[in-house]
Amino acid sequence: MTDYIAGGVPEPLVPRTTEARNGREVAALAGRRREPTVGWWGMAMLIASEVTLFGTFIGTYYYLRFSNAHWPPPGTPEPRVVVPLILVGILATTSLTMQLAANAAKRGRLWATRAFLLCALVVQVGYLVYEVHDYLDQLRYSTPQDNAYGSIYYTLLGADHVHVAVGIVLVIWLLWKLLRGLTMYRLNAVQGVALYWHAVNLLTLVVIGVLLSATI
Amino acid sequence: MATTIPPPSARAEDVLDRLERMWQPRPGVLGWLTTTDHKRIGLLYFWATLVFFAAGGAEALTIRTQLIQPNQHVVAPSTFDQLFTMHGITMIFFFIIPMTTGAFGNYLLPLMLGARDMAFPRMNALSFWVFLASGIFIYTSLFLGMAPNAGWFDYVPLANAQFDPGHAIDFYCLGIIFNGIASSFTASNFIVTILKMRAPGMSFNRMPLFCFAFLAASFGLLFALPSLTADTIFLFLDRNVGTHFFDVAKGGSVLLWQHLFWIFGHPEVYILIVPAFGIATEIIPAFTQRRVVAFPLVAVAELLVVFIGFGVWAHHMFATGMPVVTVVFFAAATSIVVIPSTIQVFAWCMTFITGNARFKTPLLFIAGFIFMFVAGGLTGIMFLAVPFDQQVTDTYFVVAHFHYIIFGAAVFPIFGGMYFWFPKVTGKLYFELPGQISFWIIFVGTNLLFFPMHIVGLEGMTRRVYTYPAGLGWGPSNLAETIGAYITTVGIVVLLGNLVVSYIRGLPAGPDPWHGATLEWTIPSPPPEYNFAVIPKVSSAYANWDHADRMEDRRKLAESVMVLEEGHEQPVSSPVDGWWAEIVEMPHDSPWPILLALAMALVFVLLLVHLWAGAVFGLSAVALALLGWHGEEPQEA
Repeated sequence: MTDYIAGGVPEPLVPRTTEARNGREVAALAGRRREPTVGWWGMAMLIASEVTLFGTFIGTYYYLRFSNAHWPPPGTPEPRVVVPLILVGILATTSLTMQLAANAAKRGRLWATRAFLLCALVVQVGYLVYEVHDYLDQLRYSTPQDNAYGSIYYTLLGADHVHVAVGIVLVIWLLWKLLRGLTMYRLNAVQGVALYWHAVNLLTLVVIGVLLSATI
Repeated sequence: MATTIPPPSARAEDVLDRLERMWQPRPGVLGWLTTTDHKRIGLLYFWATLVFFAAGGAEALTIRTQLIQPNQHVVAPSTFDQLFTMHGITMIFFFIIPMTTGAFGNYLLPLMLGARDMAFPRMNALSFWVFLASGIFIYTSLFLGMAPNAGWFDYVPLANAQFDPGHAIDFYCLGIIFNGIASSFTASNFIVTILKMRAPGMSFNRMPLFCFAFLAASFGLLFALPSLTADTIFLFLDRNVGTHFFDVAKGGSVLLWQHLFWIFGHPEVYILIVPAFGIATEIIPAFTQRRVVAFPLVAVAELLVVFIGFGVWAHHMFATGMPVVTVVFFAAATSIVVIPSTIQVFAWCMTFITGNARFKTPLLFIAGFIFMFVAGGLTGIMFLAVPFDQQVTDTYFVVAHFHYIIFGAAVFPIFGGMYFWFPKVTGKLYFELPGQISFWIIFVGTNLLFFPMHIVGLEGMTRRVYTYPAGLGWGPSNLAETIGAYITTVGIVVLLGNLVVSYIRGLPAGPDPWHGATLEWTIPSPPPEYNFAVIPKVSSAYANWDHADRMEDRRKLAESVMVLEEGHEQPVSSPVDGWWAEIVEMPHDSPWPILLALAMALVFVLLLVHLWAGAVFGLSAVALALLGWHGEEPQEA
């Protein structure tokens, strides 16, 4: 192979995924990458689409709010404030553990990756279990069928919980995949899922903020 | 066009052999069902959308036959409602979007970018199967006699459970969400492909205008569709779960539906026509042998049309009693769209005038497209005058306007593109004379079909009326429209017949019959599975006209440089400058996309019949399919 230059880069300097056959080679190759991967861009597109969907939900929330004199309508309890705020703060810390997992994977540290993912998973599952319990509990006092406030409240909150649940499934899947060692594909997956969780954490913060704005 | 071809070396033969073996598809039907090749997926899209086009066309002809004379009763009124609704849904969601993005985009984008496949080949296959499943899903309703019947924009409260009981609107909601999934996948795939899969060295300013147009349309789809998805989710919940998003009595809002629908619906118009702009900007240079005038302005205009298109939705709602400030704002915003549209029209016309135009069939269709686009654009500007708009809202004047835009500006370039790339896809030349005849029949037919609609619209004929009494003076215009519809159909049959006969009897085309401008004309027709034996060198947006670069590619093949034949390999570049970033291994054929699409279809069917627990079971089928999908890791293959 001659030293051919394309797009300003000589061919021998270009990382080649077929060369990475074990964890050490994966880490070496990942260290040579200077650009976000195709998989990272794919996740960015998914997030752009999901953020727009939530943007539409939130736009609907405020559109309905400003076409109603009372928000929430009389007889509908106001959303709970303290516990959701504390919980969403705890959930946000998983961005740190997920990023640490991605960084460890990039350096080929398999056990560190698994440990950070497991730490994140515990917090995420805890959050979701409490929130689902809370969701069902709130349904005893008001329902989506009561009025437009209830409809958008439960839809927005439910959509957010679904995204947390999908994220949890993804982390479990990653842990299962990493049982059989690290490959380029799995490294890209860890980085992609970390990005997904950053977005979900941010979305959850915004969604809870929007829903609590009814108490102001 | 080459004058000095280096002699084929034994090494080059060997390299081509290896590539051939590496990229060989599975044989037979199974090969098509499991394919991840962008060219095969493009062809699957092409055939499927043609079938939907035929269905939508048959619906249109039935509508026109019903309206041929006053007081006709060709079909029942309830059938008529289903026909015009399905005609709109079919032509927009199942013909134009999948034809431009699905068929043309899939087949041509990687070829123009110097890539061997899309960024996500398996997701690409998934897009097609989901699209097909959603089409079958929504057409099932027509055969059950419960097709959507509240118009393609499906306004509430007409579409509420109270006024439209039964499953018709549920088919609409679920079908649109299902179809939106396919379009979102396609859009993300195109964006990442255009940003990352360009041949190393193809910086943004060296990318063909066709790709700019598809980038713009993909961004449009990605950011517009969620609004429609949210809207249809709300409507489905209102109808089936008892929520109150659109129920005024319980604090909901009827206008909410319209806002969310048109936040999607207006960018949608540009999503339909911007790919057609892209097709035009490829055909014009090839048949004028001249680079498009004002390249950077046209590239920016293609992106700007879509961007501004997101800020104009409420001009569809001038008659709803919105505050005057809102109305004036949206009228002003709409007028801005004129600027990027006009930049492109002037650039095309100047390229015609300053180039050496050969009016072959594809260029005729583009000339017809410019004529129709300007005519439809001029009536579009008229809607900015709010009092005028309030008069003609929901009349045939609006129908005339958007058919000039959608048939004239989106479908004409599709026809032109069919002729233009026919030699590339099949390796055969089409017959020129029948091609030109088909253009003139379609051109005369569409104008006879759509122009009188302006007149009856101004005379007060509202759209979607089942029939009309005699004595209003609408008879002659409606008769002319119906005759025009049949003439257009004849033209389309001639066009497709010409292509079929050409496929059987056409002369061999060779790699480059038009001396085209872009990279797809540098490779054999039809293209090999791996597209490019050598990853091409690119120094301008008109790569096929850079003779020195093409000679260098031939030398590289002889020396087996830049061939990347150690697997399903593909170079990846940086998004803006085209730095060579990585060499990645692409996935092979896979059965999982079609299985996943089947699992998703199962979920939507179960939702339709209210089997909520069953839908959860369907979701676990989806999860299983995904698990199988990700069990195959490309670099282990």
